[in-house]
Amino acid sequence: MSFLKRFPPPAEGVRQQQPDTEAVLGGRGLGTGTLYIAESRLSWLDKSGLGFSLDYPTISLHAVSRDLNAYPWEHLYVMVNAKFEEEEPKETPMAEGEEEEDSDDDDIEPIAEFRFVPSDKSALEAMFSAMCDCQALHPDPEDEDSDNDYEGEEYDVEAHEQGQGDIPSFYTYEEGLSHLTAEGQATLERLEGMLAQSVSSQYNMAGVRTEDSVREFEDGMEVDTAPVVAGQFEDAEVDH
Amino acid sequence: MEISHSVKERTIAENSLVILLQGIHGHVTTVDLRDESTALGRITNVDAFMNIRLAEVTFTDRQGRVSQLDDLFVTGRNVRYVHIPDEVDIKATVEKQLQLIHKVRYFGGRDKGRKEFPTARHK
Repeated sequence: MSFLKRFPPPAEGVRQQQPDTEAVLGGRGLGTGTLYIAESRLSWLDKSGLGFSLDYPTISLHAVSRDLNAYPWEHLYVMVNAKFEEEEPKETPMAEGEEEEDSDDDDIEPIAEFRFVPSDKSALEAMFSAMCDCQALHPDPEDEDSDNDYEGEEYDVEAHEQGQGDIPSFYTYEEGLSHLTAEGQATLERLEGMLAQSVSSQYNMAGVRTEDSVREFEDGMEVDTAPVVAGQFEDAEVDH
Repeated sequence: MEISHSVKERTIAENSLVILLQGIHGHVTTVDLRDESTALGRITNVDAFMNIRLAEVTFTDRQGRVSQLDDLFVTGRNVRYVHIPDEVDIKATVEKQLQLIHKVRYFGGRDKGRKEFPTARHK
């Protein structure tokens, strides 16, 4: 079986480890080994250290089968959405390994059926549950319903209605000025000056403070409460 | 009928029809899979990603072979249809599930218990 490889058993996140478990692919037994149901992937290794891993996103479904008419031993059934070679290609090898033994609906979707038969039948439920848990850790990234992009925070309707959250403090103009530190006032003047300057560079109007006039107030004690650009529209023809 | 402990999953469920599937836990129905196989069984769990867990399943694979499975877990990606049983009132089921989610979210009630922030109406 060319898909069997040698690799170390998973060390982290192993939810269930089941020794003495036979692995079967389709109709072919792969031997007895240990099944590792880990959070990252499902792995099986035989006694010589050869085995394979299955990624959860490729697993379509898994089930506990106790129907001895369907299969003579109770087992964990795993259907995988991928192609695995079961036997050596017999006749003329096709390009890309297309045609193998299965029927024509393989070109729609490849399917491989694995069965894990533990010697301890009572472990099947635990194996099944462990797989359910691990599978849930790998939601489908290609979900068409792209609205599943939710942040962790629940939409708190009540808080929204009452306008809770950060309540900023507002100051009125006069109040705000009295709260300004010396540094704050200097900043205020500088900004006002910048504003005036940008305006005055376009319009040369009376009443507009230029950069020069701002410097007069740099001691920070007096602030002119009149709006800086009051003169901006003084020579406008339209009376508002 | 258990509401998920995950905020993210509750939010997803609340905003999609998965919430309907979560409301039919315990019902026996048929799930059609993407590969044309079908599973008839009792729904034991549906999560926000539409992963479905069924018990006592009659599974018909895409080639028509029938077998019984004790427990089946299908990934959401592979679900094509979930038949809603006739006896299920869809609207009532969705409303009931929404109520359950809100119960979890507003545990303690809107007007009862301590609040983190003082409410406007109590000023």
